[in-house]
Amino acid sequence: MPLYVERKPESLITEEGIRTDGRLPHEMRPIKMMVGVLEKADGSAFVEWGGNRILAAVFGPREVHPKHMVLPDRALVRARYNMAPFSTPERRRPGPDRRSIELSKVIREALKPAIFTENYPGSVIDIFVEVLRSDAGTRVAGINAASLALASAGVAMRGLVSACSVGRVGNFIVVDPNHDEDMWGDSDMPLAMMMESEEITLLQADGTLSEEEFKEALDLGRKAIRFVYEVQKEALKRPYYLVERRVV
Amino acid sequence: MSDLVFVRDKEVVIPGQPLARGKMRPGKDVYVDESGTIRSKKLGLVSLKDDEVSVVPLVGAYIPKEDDLVIGIVSKISGNTILVDIRSPYQGALPIQRRAERVDMRKYDLRIGDVILAKVRSFDGASSLILTIDAEGLGKLEGGYLLEVDPAKVPRVIGKRQSMLSILKEATKSEIIVANNGRIWVKPPSVKELIALEKALKKIEEESHVSGLSDRIASLLSQELR
Repeated sequence: MPLYVERKPESLITEEGIRTDGRLPHEMRPIKMMVGVLEKADGSAFVEWGGNRILAAVFGPREVHPKHMVLPDRALVRARYNMAPFSTPERRRPGPDRRSIELSKVIREALKPAIFTENYPGSVIDIFVEVLRSDAGTRVAGINAASLALASAGVAMRGLVSACSVGRVGNFIVVDPNHDEDMWGDSDMPLAMMMESEEITLLQADGTLSEEEFKEALDLGRKAIRFVYEVQKEALKRPYYLVERRVV
Repeated sequence: MSDLVFVRDKEVVIPGQPLARGKMRPGKDVYVDESGTIRSKKLGLVSLKDDEVSVVPLVGAYIPKEDDLVIGIVSKISGNTILVDIRSPYQGALPIQRRAERVDMRKYDLRIGDVILAKVRSFDGASSLILTIDAEGLGKLEGGYLLEVDPAKVPRVIGKRQSMLSILKEATKSEIIVANNGRIWVKPPSVKELIALEKALKKIEEESHVSGLSDRIASLLSQELR
């Protein structure tokens, strides 16, 4: 007998567009970001996004081990996405599984275009994304955290990568789907972008979207990501402003 | 194209942030995008000098350059090469060869864990980093303490025309060697000065982006050593 039973809500969205957590279709969950939370990492960030709690750490550029993985002309980028055993309602078996291996890959590929890997030949940049508490949209929150961690490690980048999910629930295109919408919604589309150049580095989609819906979703996603980017910028600069205020 | 500068001098900028476009020349740690806008590559402070815009990074790993002074720790001795950790993505190699111009072979009597002051003789940008200790003052460091700061802060620890370094040396009456890789070897007269130096270095790391640092360090040291 499972200890935790998932119950599908009677309706995911009302006719007026009120969602199961009381948000409107274009409303995001509260976001909080901070950098420099880990002493031993070269760069780190912590992101609270709705119920998500995500820690990202970056090591590098550093020496490559094992040696045969060295790329002579550019830096190797490795990413690991991992969920803590206590991050889900029921205990999750520790260790990588099919899902987390896939997410490691998409996170790595979402961030890699932003890094000037050719500046660090023969070295490695290791990215770790640890999900401490999960509540839908961990991959996008993880990308945001990892991008902040990279920047705070002093890695040369074309720009920050920002990410957000959009989805479809019935006739509504909703931003930042919550747990219920993720489980029982009609479509879910995580998006990551380098906001300065508006280049998309991640686009996945579950479920179905018509062409018009896709365009609307992409447009909404871009707006949401622009907001996320502002939060990231502020988080990166905040520690320096705080010191300045203390000193002056 | 119009001539525009989007930022103030000494402003904190993040990677990708647009800095200028038009006549300005791109300097260090910036890149030019397809539209001709100069953008920052790193988290750092803007430096506007004449018509050149560059970024001074606030953090970052040590990337070796030829003729850099580095403090390394001997990590492996194999055959005729001594491998040295220099706190960088690249490991330093110190070749042991008997050569006519070599002044002192005793310098090469090193053990794992020894701290050495060396110079980067050649670096090809990737795998081969050759160090040398064949010069006056280079070689094993003995009898001091090894401190570390972020390699990006080394210019701040030295200061303009060595101003910061001389404040540190005079106030603590210590021998100090600052290497480019962020390792700092100090030989203070007593523990009191060592603690003062540690505190001063931490303050330099934290507050290097706020002007008036030298004065704050001087007052910190005089307070600590009273």
